[in-house]
Amino acid sequence: MNKYHDDWIIAAPGILLLCFAFLVPVAGIMVLGIKNPDGSLTISYIERFLTDAYYLGVAWRTIKLSCIITLVCAIAGFPFAYVMARASPNLRVWLMILITLPLMTSVVVRTFGWMVLLGRGGLLPEALYLMGFVRRNYSLMHTEAAIIIGMIQILFPFMVLSIVGVILRLDPRIEEASRVMGCSFLASVKRVVLPLSIPGIVAGSLLVFTLSVSYFITPSLLGGARLPVLAGSIYETATKSQDWAFAAAQSLILFIGVLILLIPYISLTRKSHG
Amino acid sequence: MKANQTILALLTSLLASVSSAVAQETLVVNSWGGAYEKLHKQLVFEPFEKANNVKIKVVTVYSADTLAQLRAQKGAPQYDVVHFSGGQEVVAAREGLISPIKPQELPNAADLYPFATEGMARGEGPVHLVTAIGLLYNEKKVPNAPKAWKDLWKSEYGDHLVLTDLSNSYGLLGFLMMNKVWGGSLDNTKPGLEKVGELLNRSVIISSSPEVQQNFAQNDAWIAAFSQDYAHVIRQSGQPVKFLLAEEGAPAVFFTANLVAGRPNQALAKKLIDFELSPEVQAAFAREMRYSPTNRKTKLDDNVASEVVFGDAVKSLVRFDPAQVDSSRATLIENWKKLIAR
Repeated sequence: MNKYHDDWIIAAPGILLLCFAFLVPVAGIMVLGIKNPDGSLTISYIERFLTDAYYLGVAWRTIKLSCIITLVCAIAGFPFAYVMARASPNLRVWLMILITLPLMTSVVVRTFGWMVLLGRGGLLPEALYLMGFVRRNYSLMHTEAAIIIGMIQILFPFMVLSIVGVILRLDPRIEEASRVMGCSFLASVKRVVLPLSIPGIVAGSLLVFTLSVSYFITPSLLGGARLPVLAGSIYETATKSQDWAFAAAQSLILFIGVLILLIPYISLTRKSHG
Repeated sequence: MKANQTILALLTSLLASVSSAVAQETLVVNSWGGAYEKLHKQLVFEPFEKANNVKIKVVTVYSADTLAQLRAQKGAPQYDVVHFSGGQEVVAAREGLISPIKPQELPNAADLYPFATEGMARGEGPVHLVTAIGLLYNEKKVPNAPKAWKDLWKSEYGDHLVLTDLSNSYGLLGFLMMNKVWGGSLDNTKPGLEKVGELLNRSVIISSSPEVQQNFAQNDAWIAAFSQDYAHVIRQSGQPVKFLLAEEGAPAVFFTANLVAGRPNQALAKKLIDFELSPEVQAAFAREMRYSPTNRKTKLDDNVASEVVFGDAVKSLVRFDPAQVDSSRATLIENWKKLIAR
């Protein structure tokens, strides 16, 4: 009992910080979205969002892009993480540096890099033109593909690092056992490693998904004004239209939407994999 | 008792002088980035810092975001002087976010043209610079030089158009002008939205000033609805881009310098605002980026004067009532976003 008490004291600064610097202001913003100027409760802002095809379209694009980004990160991240975990310690350090190095650069700077690479005459469109796929003035900027490419580059490390942690903790003897029992390498990865690393993939997917639905700098720079996503719409509503209540309502919807998507996801994976 | 008070007063004044000698005073201001901010620093902030031994902290924020920040910071304002280009001073003054300045508090205010000081009676800051919105075109690429706003709809310009998002002050005014030439008004923006809708598949939509230059330089833009100041910057950078005051009229962008309410250093802030109104600073702004001065004592070189709308001619520019623009802004921006979203 006493020990438990001490734990609380140790955790107190962190909990207090979380309360006052995060929970209270976030709750304040949420409340703003369901309150009339006179203080009474209202669902008019939420209703405005849910009955307007434009905002529903923005929400749909956000979810669609985030799903694609998460999926690509997971599919590409798992093999990378597996190689990283099973590589020699020396090589692992280099791979670790490779994957974390981009995190040292600001997201805005990396996004500007993509703007150069994807814009008219940039590396990628130029390569596609030389290969004869597109016309000369082709540009990848201001397309959903640009948003997906930029976001994957930013969020990929989160996925890999989540999976690598789990695979590293797997006992290599389990894999050896499966090989001894007659599994091919691929079958062993598929039937032994993959199921056991599900917690890492889930954690990584949650991270990538929640980060990508709430990102606004990269989508607004690479997607432009004509491809709004929810986080960008919140920003625009708060600063350009100065409609804080509606911006708060959109945040509330984003928040609830993420929760609705995440809770079954977590409980499902918890049930099937302990 | 009296002696006590004297000693106290002496002590406080001593303390004040000591602290001011130790801690250099700081003013926090906003500017709008790009070539403008560079010039703003070079012509206003750096000379003012030297002359008054203060430190000026420049934050790059556009007008609309600045207003949003002022509102959020109402309890504890963080800026001393804010600059607006989209008429936000009307709202800021109405909400008490900025302090009224009496014309006699600014020595240079007496020399300003009346249009630059009329907002001061409503509690807004004075207008320090003016620029015009018109058409920028690449003279080597366009088959025929445009003359009017309606020329944007000519098919000969193909898909080489650049339009500006309405979240940008220049974009908003350019749009309002297009709306006007197609028969709309501030209360009825439908004609403009419909007509601009026809251009969407032929244009790139940008939201910040440096992007205009980038589009002329790299993206094969031929024609853009934007402002005279950046037209000059682009031309100086070596591109064959010309600025046109379209024949239906050119909207004026009034840059105002406003005193933020509830800040301790208002006297110094006023001095900075007054400095921005001085003829020397305004002449330099006209020379470097073709801004129209608002101080009638400003002397312009002939080659500058021939390119700048100035003096009473500023009145010939189209001025949309900022209060009315503000009241329809939110709806207009929402309709615009719906129009352009793919």
